[in-house]
Parts: sequence; C-alpha cells; structure tokens
Amino acid sequence: MERRVVITACSAITPIGHGRQQIVESLQKGASGVRTLREDELITRFIHSRVYGTVDYPIVYDFARQHRKTMGPVAYYACQVAKEVLAQAGLPQDFVTGGSLGIAFGSIHGSPTVQRDIYKIFFEAKDKATYQGIGAVDYLKSMVHTTAVNISKMFGITGRIISSGTACTTSSQSIGFGYEAVKYGLQDAMLCGGADEYDTITVAVFDNLLACSTAYNDHPERTPRPFDQDRDGLVVAEGAGAVMLEEYEFAKKRGATILGEVIGFACNSNGGDLILPNLEGITKTLQLGLRNAGISAPDLDLVSAHATATKMGDIIEAQANAAVFGPDPYVVALKSYMGHTMAACGAIETVLTLYMMQEGFIAPTLNLESVDERCAMINHVRKLIEYPVKTAAIQNFAFGGVNTSLIIRKFS
Amino acid sequence: MTRQDIEKEVRKIFLKEFEVENPELDVNLREAYGFDSIDAIELLLEIEKFLGSELTQDEKKLAMDIRTMNQILDYIEMLASRRAAATEK
Repeated sequence: MERRVVITACSAITPIGHGRQQIVESLQKGASGVRTLREDELITRFIHSRVYGTVDYPIVYDFARQHRKTMGPVAYYACQVAKEVLAQAGLPQDFVTGGSLGIAFGSIHGSPTVQRDIYKIFFEAKDKATYQGIGAVDYLKSMVHTTAVNISKMFGITGRIISSGTACTTSSQSIGFGYEAVKYGLQDAMLCGGADEYDTITVAVFDNLLACSTAYNDHPERTPRPFDQDRDGLVVAEGAGAVMLEEYEFAKKRGATILGEVIGFACNSNGGDLILPNLEGITKTLQLGLRNAGISAPDLDLVSAHATATKMGDIIEAQANAAVFGPDPYVVALKSYMGHTMAACGAIETVLTLYMMQEGFIAPTLNLESVDERCAMINHVRKLIEYPVKTAAIQNFAFGGVNTSLIIRKFS
Repeated sequence: MTRQDIEKEVRKIFLKEFEVENPELDVNLREAYGFDSIDAIELLLEIEKFLGSELTQDEKKLAMDIRTMNQILDYIEMLASRRAAATEK
C-alpha cells in the first residue's frame, strides 16, 4: 500500500524570525540572523569563531509547570513549534490522542545546557548534598529523544515515536521517516521536525576541526558564505522547525489546507569516513531521491542545498548537484541567512522552501559575492527572483556520513 | 513543631516548587494537581531541607504510597518524631 503524503502545517523558530511573516520578510530583505557568539562564561574565551546564528527575540511560552519540569531549552523550542503546527493543522482532538498521529522529532544530543550542569556536579561533587543536585528530571531533559517525548506528553500524542539523532540529518530524517510511516500506512499523520538550543560545545567541536568561520568575527552578517570564494567555514546556530504530514485522502476529507506534498525521500550512508564529504555517497543520495519521487532532473525547479560554507563540502555538493540535476535548477543555500541550525536544519529548510513555494519567490544565497569557480557549474540564485516553484529538493548531509534527500511538490 | 507549622511549610513548598496554591488536604494530588512521581522525589529533597536531616532509603520508599496532603503531613510528623526520639536517646 502506497499513499500520498501531504503537508498541512509548518512552523519554525529561526535566527531570522519566528513564523511565516517574519521569516519571509527576512528572506526577501536579505536579513542575516548571524550575531556575535554569546558568552557562556566557560569555553567561549577559547573559541576562535565569534559568530553564532542567534535567536535573539523573546518567545512567550505558555506551558504548564507539569510540562515545563521535564523540558530543557531544546524541548521548549520543539514544543513551541509543535504547538503551532498542531494549531495550524486543526486535527480533531480524538485523532491527535487516538494513536493515528505519531511523532518524528530529534535533536543532536538532547539538552547540552542540562548535560553541562550534570557534568559539573559529576566532577565537582564533594558531598552527598551536591550529588543530590542531579535532579530527578535531568535525564528527561537531556536524553536524545527529549524533544519527541516532551511533545507526546504535552499534547497527549500516542502514536509511534521516531527520534533520529543523526547530527545535521536529524530533522530531514524525521520528515523522511515520517513520510514513509504515512506513505506505507503505519500512521495516518506524523508531526515531524527537529530542534537545537544554544550550545558552545558544538561550536568548539567544529572550531577545533578548523571548520568554523573566523574571518568575519567583526562582521557576523557577512558569514557564512556558501559557494563564495571567500567562504571560511560554517556558523553554528540554534532553532527549530516542524511540519505536519498527513495521508492525502484523510486531509482532503476533513477539508485541511494543503501546503505541499512530499513526493520522495532517500537516505543512505557513505560507508566510510565519518567527517569528510563524500562525492559518491552524496551523488547516490540525490539520484535515489529523484528515483523515489518518480521524477527526473528537469522536473526540479529548486534545490535547497546543504551548503554549510566549508571549503570542501560546498565543492563536493556542487559537483554532485551538477552530475545529478545538471546546470538548470535554481540552487539556494539557506544557511547563508542563519548559519547551521544542526538538528533543525532539514526541517527549517523544508519550511522555508514551502514558504517560498507559497509566496512565489526564491531567496538568493546571502554573501555570495563571487562564486568559487569550483562551484560555478550550478545555477546559483544571486538575487531575489519571483518564480512559481513547483518541485524542490531539500538535501542534507551529516557527520557520520549520513545523507538525505527530500523532494516536495506544490500541491495542485 | 506543630502540625500547623508543618502544613504552613508544605504549602510554601507546593506554591514555590510545584505552582500549586493551597492544595486541599484530602484530594488525590495526582488527579487534582498533576503531582507525579517526579514531583514526589523533589518533595523529598525539600522535606530533607526542612527537617535539616537526610532521609534513609527506607524512609523514602515509605513516601511512595502518599497520595494526599494529609498523608504528607502524617509522613513528616512521623519523621520528625523519629528524629526527636533519636535525639533524646
């Protein structure tokens, strides 16, 4: 049994805004969400990269204490976008709690803020009173599936839980695995997404790998610079994104607003190095994505590239894009607006692509002033264009050698 | 320490830690206020602070059957009298 899977709601908290209006405005104005790295009073003084994709506006959370007590910052982000998506989708309450709705949601490693507090006690505990500072809820806040289960608790969702924790492909896998769960009749709807909170450990990891941007510390908005000849690495960021996937006939019958359709998903692994970008693996993913969607390259209007602005990653991705999609589809690197939101990036980039589909425009890649000639064989979007995007690919590649390709289509 | 003193302190703890204002004495705390096993563990830590004395694992296990405010007050009274008796010896 194969069923059509449509998207009936989406939302995102990003460094360039919260929700459709703010995000579309930022994309159309070319506004960056990259700011100076905030101090953690622990390790920031050692980090060379002084930039961070920052959510610097207040978010009013209206969560009851019984839910807040098991939530770290990452779960706040996740539950907020989940709440917005549930409200937007307007699913009947008995459907939400009856087992037909599942959740696919993840983060790269739970809540690092809470983990840090636990380790502080672990290394400093000198007496029993200090040891008891490890609270009963600390594991619930910091475990890798904290986002998914806090969503299930808050909204009484009783279907399956999928909680991928595959770094940068976490939420593209959430959407992909959610798509497969609905497509093959395992669930009638899936709430899918990912989130990550402010975290300097992640910055330190990339900084020590010499993969973080450092040349624009005094001008944060000028980095990251995907595909640009002066790019110098990625910018870590925070945020969350979510979509509601539903079986088409069910959505149609209940009169849901359909924002788009997921028509294909592919996921593979490089089977080798856990860090270096792999042309063969990525190329294969893009081919599998097209095949799974039952389309060919000329059907694609837009590619949302993973494009983190690392030296080698962008070149390999451009080569794979050119080999599989050819020179025609528009290519945008949405991380240029906000940096790399880690577990959230696949969902956020899907949400932004849906917004562009609905509004009929394609945002340009920010900071792409002079295209690296080794990345020049694809059709970069250099300025805001009005364009009726019908079919788009969203691709993400993760540490560990995990690759995903999602294909979505404007609903008609 | 009277039962009224204990009740006053427990009500303070419920308001500050659990955002529950003036819980009724004989209602099931879980059903009425969503007070669950996680809260029970937090409450035990607060009781230790209040008594200025660590609870044994056996004493903590005794608390797992508590469902109402009155049972919490009974429990703290029992702990306080145990400690007073131990001091007299």
